[in-house]
Amino acid sequence: MATQAPPQWALDLTSAPTQKPKSTSIQDPPGFTAALSTKQRSGASKTPVRKTPTEEEMDTLKMKKAWELAIAPAKQLPMNAIGMYMTGNTLQIFSIFMVFTLFKTPITAILALQRVFAPYETPGTSSRLIVVKLVYILTNLVGLCLGIWKVNKMGLLPTTRSDWLAWEAERTWSERAIPRAWL
Amino acid sequence: MRLHAALALTACLSSGALAIFADDAGHIDYHLALVGLPKREDTFFQQPYAGSKASLLYTLSDKQVIGAVNPKDGAIVWRHSLSTSPNGTHGILRSGEDQDTIITAVGDRITAWSASDGRLAWETRFSGATVEDLEILEQEDGNTVGDVKDAVVLLNDATQGVKRLDGKTGRIKWTYQDTSGNTPFQVSTSPTHVYYISLHTSMLGASTVHVTSLSPVTGKKVDQYTLNTGNDISSRDQILFAGANSASPLLAWTDKAHSALKVNIIGTKGVSTFAAPSKETVERIILHAPNRVNSVPHFLVEYQTKTGHSAEVFHVNLVKSTISKAYSLPNLAGRGIFTTSTTDANVYFTRITSEEVSVVSSRSHGILGRWPIKSSWTLAGAYPVHGVSEVAVRSGSAHAVRSAALFSNGQWALVRNGELTWTRPEFLSGVVSAAWADLPEEETLAHELEVEGHQNVVAAYIHRVKRHIRDLEYFPAWLQALPVRILGNLVGNPSEPISGDIIEHDSFGFHKLVIVATDTGRLAALDAGSSGKIVWNIDLHQLSPGTTFEHPTLKTSRGYVELSDKGLVAPLLINVTTAGLLSAKEKAESVPVVRGQTLVFFDIVDGELKGFEGAQTNATPVWTFTPPTNERIVGWTARPLDDPVASIGKVLGDRRVLYKYLNPNLVLITTVSDSTRTASVYLLDSASGNLLHSTSHSGVDITRPIPSAISENWFSYSMTLDAAHNTASRGYELVVSELFESSIPDDRGPLGAAENSSAVGPNKGDALEPYVLSQTYHIPEEISHMTVSQTRQGITSRELLVTLPESNSIVGIPRYVIDPRRPIGRDPTAEEAAEGLTKYHPVIMFQPQWHINHKNEVFGVKDVITSPSLLESTSLVFAYGLDVFGTRLSPSFAFDMLGKGFNKVQMLLTVGALGVGVLFVAPLVRRKQINSLWTIP
Repeated sequence: MATQAPPQWALDLTSAPTQKPKSTSIQDPPGFTAALSTKQRSGASKTPVRKTPTEEEMDTLKMKKAWELAIAPAKQLPMNAIGMYMTGNTLQIFSIFMVFTLFKTPITAILALQRVFAPYETPGTSSRLIVVKLVYILTNLVGLCLGIWKVNKMGLLPTTRSDWLAWEAERTWSERAIPRAWL
Repeated sequence: MRLHAALALTACLSSGALAIFADDAGHIDYHLALVGLPKREDTFFQQPYAGSKASLLYTLSDKQVIGAVNPKDGAIVWRHSLSTSPNGTHGILRSGEDQDTIITAVGDRITAWSASDGRLAWETRFSGATVEDLEILEQEDGNTVGDVKDAVVLLNDATQGVKRLDGKTGRIKWTYQDTSGNTPFQVSTSPTHVYYISLHTSMLGASTVHVTSLSPVTGKKVDQYTLNTGNDISSRDQILFAGANSASPLLAWTDKAHSALKVNIIGTKGVSTFAAPSKETVERIILHAPNRVNSVPHFLVEYQTKTGHSAEVFHVNLVKSTISKAYSLPNLAGRGIFTTSTTDANVYFTRITSEEVSVVSSRSHGILGRWPIKSSWTLAGAYPVHGVSEVAVRSGSAHAVRSAALFSNGQWALVRNGELTWTRPEFLSGVVSAAWADLPEEETLAHELEVEGHQNVVAAYIHRVKRHIRDLEYFPAWLQALPVRILGNLVGNPSEPISGDIIEHDSFGFHKLVIVATDTGRLAALDAGSSGKIVWNIDLHQLSPGTTFEHPTLKTSRGYVELSDKGLVAPLLINVTTAGLLSAKEKAESVPVVRGQTLVFFDIVDGELKGFEGAQTNATPVWTFTPPTNERIVGWTARPLDDPVASIGKVLGDRRVLYKYLNPNLVLITTVSDSTRTASVYLLDSASGNLLHSTSHSGVDITRPIPSAISENWFSYSMTLDAAHNTASRGYELVVSELFESSIPDDRGPLGAAENSSAVGPNKGDALEPYVLSQTYHIPEEISHMTVSQTRQGITSRELLVTLPESNSIVGIPRYVIDPRRPIGRDPTAEEAAEGLTKYHPVIMFQPQWHINHKNEVFGVKDVITSPSLLESTSLVFAYGLDVFGTRLSPSFAFDMLGKGFNKVQMLLTVGALGVGVLFVAPLVRRKQINSLWTIP
């Protein structure tokens, strides 16, 4: 048996009614898109297809993105600083965790430097990206400094004389005097 | 936040700090409340009030302490120290029959005390006079108020004469003035007369006895006569007995050779002469007579010879005024004593020897009762010296006898029917010097470790292995003792030793020995860890015959104690565990000298402090400290030989460091000037003699002691301000000074970070002066002695231990209270508060929780010595003087020891339950893990 022609409903379904009824008082139901008329279609086909960006444009875009990424840690800084200030200088589990993340984030970020900027690496951008990377490292370091400041505030940095007191020795005296009664 | 924390810290420091926990009291401390050696004449059993069933034992000791002792257990009921008057070497204690007061006379004071509780009833003073004798008028003569018996006193010096004092108030009723110039000797009373006995010394040196009889009612002279004593009496000691408030007061004396006994019944002129036993030379004759008016007039004469003792009993015929010998008690070898006791009118004599107690009646020589004395460790080798007895007689035989006797080893013991009921180590009341000694076990270990430290690695290792193999010998015993120890740890009291053995497991170092030397020439060792138990007690005269010990001083070294005294040529070396004498060869090098250090000795020579390079006294001094004109040195204190310092600086609140001035050669000299009433202190570097610091205080009562203490980098001293002087403040002051290398934090002063220092080097004297901070506090009481607690490594904060003689207590002042850096006139800043500093307040009140003696009254403390234990937190303290008191101090709490409240059983049960739980849960978990791997999800 030869293939049968598809039933009419199936044909109707594939080809939308070409003719719109004249009376347009009835609106199309929501979600229905009327097929463009040929005139319309010809007009649409006339607008040019968006041409693919050039290499240079692409690089500029990537650089923009990269800059944004480099500045991002600095944007978090004020919030972190306020948070650190509010937690106080006592050693509590909460502030210890906060300080820990404060140290962990910049360091992991710096370690993951190449991976972070890999999408923006092109032959055109690679030279310009160095500055961006440096700024990225710098902003992360500023975050790290905040952490150090906090640790110092908590009194954990051995910066004062008292921290090294245990390594300082008592003077040895070259004379020793004792009462004769103790002899 | 920081301020808050600091405030919380200070609050917790100041509130509960340093108090003794109630469950520790009596366990960590020990207190021997002593009275001193009881005197023969002034010790007796007496009912505290008329009609009382039980009697107390009253005594006035050689230390002028009156004490009432419970004869049941030997505990002190009450006591008072009367030795306030400087010339009060002679004391008398008397009591009347059925009276509720007992009367003492010491120096110029006559005091009546309530017999049951020791409260003061009345006191009369005769300034300038000394009370020679005191008797109670036993008879009723209508002149007394109620049934209170009056006292008759005999005064010497300014107002020589006899006075009758009202027994209720102490007021004088009459006075008999003696203007003859004779030496007053004694008073004695009979039912009808008061006899005043005086001695008249003739040109030839012999004395005659004058007896003046007085009317007890008016005090008028009734009669006077001189006894015909011939040339017998040349000194007072030869008069054996005078008085006895009995119906027949006696006067007995002997000649120089103790060959004859002469007795006179006072009031008559006749003298009866009895020959002493002639077999052996009599060394001493003692007459024992009853002291009751209504008792039969019998008396006993005790003859002591070199090898034995015997006695004779005499009867007095009151009608004929004759004395006749009734019977004699046989001579017994060895030392023994006799005591007199009365029941109703009957008189009983108790004979006490080292072996047995026997009782005879004064009427016949038949022995009424005899008890062998059970031998006891405390009285081993000792013989009785004198005593008192109480006898209970029923139907002709002695039912029970109890005797309180002083034994020759200084123990005052109560023997009840031959059994030792209690002993009181009264010889410890005369401790003049004490020193800490480590147990030999620890000493040897320390020595072995030292040896290992000085060897090379291989040799040290071999040495250690050998030592461990040698230690294996103790392993079975250790294993055997283990269950007992664990059990004892779990349920028992950890501070109580389980075995009585001294060389026992002592992991905390509390079982140190305190070696004490007494003024009577005894040497004893107390175990500080077992409530001051006496380990041994020896007589020094046996080790060194013929030496009189005045003020023995002690020094301990490895395993032995070195005893030196003025009377000794070479110091005695005595083993601390066995009390055996060591030869001088075994003496080890005692001074801990670091190699390369120059040794300088210093001593006070002719009122100047001089330093010598070498131990010889005749060497030329390296330096001399001469006090300024008119000032004389009253004392000096040096830093302890072993004074570990944990930190060389003080960390400030801002985490900077103030460096401590740590000089091992610091010596603090206190001087006074009599004319200007100033007290000065001089801080010297005793290696070079350089003056580091000096202060002067005016308006000081220089007759009072100025105690001082020096430790680490601070020193303190205390003085009494002169009440007569017109000064702004009066009372007692405590000055505390702290020395720093520089006033600027983080600065090590002119020496910088140099590791070596010399006080003698060129031009260094001025540069080495420390920066001194001082603060003065007013204290509520006078301090007689001060010392500083010591710990093993000096990490624990120190405590200044001060002795308060007025309240009989020892107070530990925490270091933070007397920190000279306390801010003055303002509240501390946050940083200062973080250091624990509080605002300066000029008055320090001694907080009740600082009293380390808590409820005990520690009498007559002369010195307090401290020693570190093996635990860093704990310092051992031992105080001596009249009483003996020891305790353990934890100035920063016992942070390295489990408290008593720690429930070891609960902890073990928890661990056990968890273990059992793990056993049950483990298979379940394992099955679950396997199932999770094998089942398809």
